[in-house]
Amino acid sequence: MRKTYIAVVVLTFVAIVGNHLTSPSSGRAVSPEDFAGACAPCGAPCPSKK
Amino acid sequence: MSTATAAAPSAGAAIGIDRLFLTFAIGATAILVALVLLDSQPLSAALILGGFGLGIAFLKAEFSYTASWRRFLTKGEAGGLLGGLIVIAICALAVVPVAALKSNFGGAIAPLGPSLIIGAFVFGIGMQLANGCGSGTLYTVGGGSGRMLFTLAFFIIGSVLGSLSLPSFLALGGIDPVLASDYLGPWGGLAATLASIALAAGLIVAVAKKRGANFMPSRSYILGGIAIGVLCIAVFFAGGHPWSVTYGYTLWGAKIFAALGFDFSNAGFWQWPGNKQALASSVLSDTSSLTDFGMIFGAMAAAAATKPFAAAAWPPFKSILAANIGGLLCGWGARIGFGCNIGAFIGGVASGSLHGWVWFLACLPGCLIGIRLRPLFGLSRD
Repeated sequence: MRKTYIAVVVLTFVAIVGNHLTSPSSGRAVSPEDFAGACAPCGAPCPSKK
Repeated sequence: MSTATAAAPSAGAAIGIDRLFLTFAIGATAILVALVLLDSQPLSAALILGGFGLGIAFLKAEFSYTASWRRFLTKGEAGGLLGGLIVIAICALAVVPVAALKSNFGGAIAPLGPSLIIGAFVFGIGMQLANGCGSGTLYTVGGGSGRMLFTLAFFIIGSVLGSLSLPSFLALGGIDPVLASDYLGPWGGLAATLASIALAAGLIVAVAKKRGANFMPSRSYILGGIAIGVLCIAVFFAGGHPWSVTYGYTLWGAKIFAALGFDFSNAGFWQWPGNKQALASSVLSDTSSLTDFGMIFGAMAAAAATKPFAAAAWPPFKSILAANIGGLLCGWGARIGFGCNIGAFIGGVASGSLHGWVWFLACLPGCLIGIRLRPLFGLSRD
């Protein structure tokens, strides 16, 4: 299990850093509810707006 | 594998320090902090470090929502459940008034309706089969549990499936979020929130007494609950909203599927402005992901500092199967139900949002079903 763990954590970390380096970064850490005018943290719209 | 052993001077007992994983956990955290600081995002660095602290606190206190809710349902033992309420009460002291008074802060709110109830119920089944909730999965993965690697993988898959299902479930209807501070103001909302927590605690203690079970939280749950509550406040101030976990899973899964060629342009969830932007941006621009990464590495550091890391054998096949099914249900349920026990229950109640309590009441029956299913996979009901 240990060797699998090493492989998983190293690959995951490389993926995190790779994604960060190849993707645009917003000015600050954001959650969708910051800018979606949403009714839930995932950005879901409010029932009253339908 | 450089597992070294050092002597503990006071006890004279041997303590295994796993230098490889301890170094990796601290080094990886330092690199992530450096990357966000290079982008001039000190609050993102604070979120990573807050998550790191949460990982240590959860692991050291062995703070388990899944096990404590199971003990309450099967034996009436209420100590763990009350420990969880300590976290919420501390967190609410900051979240309710600040979210109401400061425009750049927000609470965890969600509409009330079938989506919330179904999602929480399914999550409850899943968390008992997976043997971990949102936070539990993070700190046990970080702590070296091979079984929970499967849970996390399927949690991620389930949450992406949930993101594809959510618009259909929202179409079933519902009502807008009910927030205490909207009706009672910031301080009245806080008073109402604390009163609701006290009422819940009283009911839980009454049930425990009626069943002749212990209701006092253990010392580790009291201290752990206080530490986690304080860290929740720190994460709230750094991120601008209450601590959340599972949105990060959904985002990671969507990024992986997108990299494999899956097209999300027709998926309603991923066309909502925030999600569309999150999918296109760096994963280190997402608050949930930052605390999630920190929590995994914090738990890894704490575990590797005390014993050889991930040294146990793989669990039996049936246990892994339960982890897979449970993870899938947790992921799907968390997305449909607007979060897990952290984002929906703790975050919701600590924000004074009624959906937090609705989520909790819908999750408990799901837990009961999950507990009944556990023996099928060789897992104890206790």
